[in-house]
Amino acid sequence: MNTLTKEIKQEVTEAVEGKDQKSASNVRVYSPNVDVMETEEAILFRVEMPGVDQSSVEISIEKDQLILEGKFVPPAESRGQVRLAEYKEGNYFRKFTIGKAIHSDKAIAKMKNGILELTIPKMEPKKTKIEIQK
Amino acid sequence: MLFRILDPQTKANQFWRDFDRLNDELTRSILDSQFGSASNYPPVNVYTKEDEALVTCLLPGIETDHIDINVKDNLLSIHGRKKAEELAEGTEVHRREIYNGEFHRTLELPFRVDQEHVLAKYSNGVLNIHLPRREEDKPKKVSIIAG
Repeated sequence: MNTLTKEIKQEVTEAVEGKDQKSASNVRVYSPNVDVMETEEAILFRVEMPGVDQSSVEISIEKDQLILEGKFVPPAESRGQVRLAEYKEGNYFRKFTIGKAIHSDKAIAKMKNGILELTIPKMEPKKTKIEIQK
Repeated sequence: MLFRILDPQTKANQFWRDFDRLNDELTRSILDSQFGSASNYPPVNVYTKEDEALVTCLLPGIETDHIDINVKDNLLSIHGRKKAEELAEGTEVHRREIYNGEFHRTLELPFRVDQEHVLAKYSNGVLNIHLPRREEDKPKKVSIIAG
């Protein structure tokens, strides 16, 4: 009864959410939880990537597209029989479009306790004065 | 509720009682997965071997002194608090998806645990708790003497 409930629940949740797409390598890809904040000087991203090592995180900015990726490394040793599985391990992927002028080359990223903190400084809006020809 | 059967006579039937229970459980779990429920935060996986269990728990961004782990017999309870980041003045919030607040989970393990040798490790936002089975509860192999 219980296992049946769990199985049905999983099927329905996946159908409703549709976000746990399987990639070609059969590793699940998850959309991580994100906090996005903006101060006067910068845009801040906090991304939850539990179980991902700092070395396997990739951040790229191309024009206004920010791509955050985290590769999951499976544990080497056997853990035994699965009794309860409320989460599945997998890769993280999320894409954002930044609608502000930013200094992508001055971005700072830190990884602490499974949370990626990314700070991207904003560009001062340039003011150009155009003279009217006589 | 996903389905509703409006016939009180069906209640006496074992099948419909089971069906209702399944129905209830499904509805609740779907609602929880859609709108979030404090009762299943943080998500855990439990793995067991004959003489030990491993509980892995997704808890990114927490200070280890904010986690309390208690073990009694075959019950493991994890209690903690996740503090929200303090925001500087003039910060504009665009998105807030990360959970903050108190959490409490109690898990039932298939055997009694040797409380003295429980080991908890926190790395990369994952809490791993190793729970060895009590020595006196471990299965003993009986050797047969050929006669």
